[in-house]
Amino acid sequence: MKVKDVPQDDEFLQPDGDVLLRDRTYALDDDGKYREIPSAGWAPKNEAIKFSWSYKSEEAQEIRKEVIAGKYSPIMYHMIRLLMTPRILADYTGLSKRKINKLCKPKHFAFIKAEDLSHIADAMNISVEELTSID
Amino acid sequence: MEINFEHRHAAHCENGVVRNLLNFYGIKLSEPMVLGLGSGIFFSHMPFYRLHGMALTSFRYFPGSIFTRVTRALGIEVQWHKFKDPDKAMAKLDEVLAQGIPVGLRVGVYHLSYFPKEYRMHFNAHNLCVIGKEGDEYIVSDPIGMNKNRLSAENLKKVRFAQGTSPPEGRMYYIKSTEHYKPLTADMLYKATLKTCSGMLGIPFNMFGAKGIAYLAKRMRKWERLYGERGAAMNLAQVIRMLEEIGTGGAGFRFMYAAFLQEASEFLNKPEWNQLSMELTEVGDLWRDFSYHAARFFKKREGIILSYNDIADKLEVISARETEVFRKLENSIKRG
Repeated sequence: MKVKDVPQDDEFLQPDGDVLLRDRTYALDDDGKYREIPSAGWAPKNEAIKFSWSYKSEEAQEIRKEVIAGKYSPIMYHMIRLLMTPRILADYTGLSKRKINKLCKPKHFAFIKAEDLSHIADAMNISVEELTSID
Repeated sequence: MEINFEHRHAAHCENGVVRNLLNFYGIKLSEPMVLGLGSGIFFSHMPFYRLHGMALTSFRYFPGSIFTRVTRALGIEVQWHKFKDPDKAMAKLDEVLAQGIPVGLRVGVYHLSYFPKEYRMHFNAHNLCVIGKEGDEYIVSDPIGMNKNRLSAENLKKVRFAQGTSPPEGRMYYIKSTEHYKPLTADMLYKATLKTCSGMLGIPFNMFGAKGIAYLAKRMRKWERLYGERGAAMNLAQVIRMLEEIGTGGAGFRFMYAAFLQEASEFLNKPEWNQLSMELTEVGDLWRDFSYHAARFFKKREGIILSYNDIADKLEVISARETEVFRKLENSIKRG
């Protein structure tokens, strides 16, 4: 790759602007020497990232419909939306994987302890109110 | 309290941390040199090892190996710690920091507060350096950021004990002493390069090394049948993310390793390595071409859209080219 071809396709908003996350691309200059050029991003990479997220959000929308239909509890919806799996959630909260799977069903979710609820909300980095609704 | 530590931006997190730590002890190495000396370049595609429910494709060696190999080659003593209890992990970090020693940490990016939302997946092999503490905040030098930043103790504790595939378990590492430090020699470079070549050519399983790229191509031809159209595109997206996103300096370390070969050719006075560097650059360009065409699966643009078979063909060409480059490199050392 040549220095002039280093892409600068910035697309994602950074929560902390001071850090300024950047790629650093190694590219050849006109004399055939390697130079380091900071790069803001590259369109194909950004599209791959956006595609993965849109795939997940579509999956989450499907689950949302089933939550409304009474098949799953809101935990299931948020778990899919936030790229979690029962295994990872179990590791974060200290609950068993079986317990997490159980809480994904409305009839067990109805009797959930406040303590477990706050643990799960904490692991997902959202508030308890968000966790119990599907908006 | 903040340690007087020079923060420098780098392409890859682990190389960057290693280089910045060595720089703190007065050992000046460039980032490509760290990659070359740590034999960091690799390829593997492991369908049985899953990240986000998909096969893991990796363009580098195991996390932590670059630090271990570079320090071992240079005769530097290091210390690693791993913890079960988060509070003990934070207490140990404070204790080492109080002695004025910068500490490298392995963290997960899912809860890392300064990362853009889109980058936060369950990827647990990010490295950063902690260089100070003020009140309840740690001063962090993350090599992929242009500037230093701050992270709350609560957030740091969470990312150090991230969960998912290969959890970091609060791992921390630092340089203990540079008493037996040996400056860079030609022998070290030859040894490290031979190790790289044996990783790329000599592992007798088809999923590792340069032939692993052909194996990925073979799997890719089956994806549509195995996972359906969207599932296949999702797998492809994962490969592109591993290739470009996780700070690889472009094309999965290929450009960075080419930069190393160029630097080494000057150091060793071996012009043929510069030639190999140019060949590896061409391979890197082929990887970029692959990513460009692969991205058309996600965003339908005008022009020809290739099938999985077509892009798998591209990978097979890359596999053959890489084998050739690393074979030449190995021969240039073995046959003098």
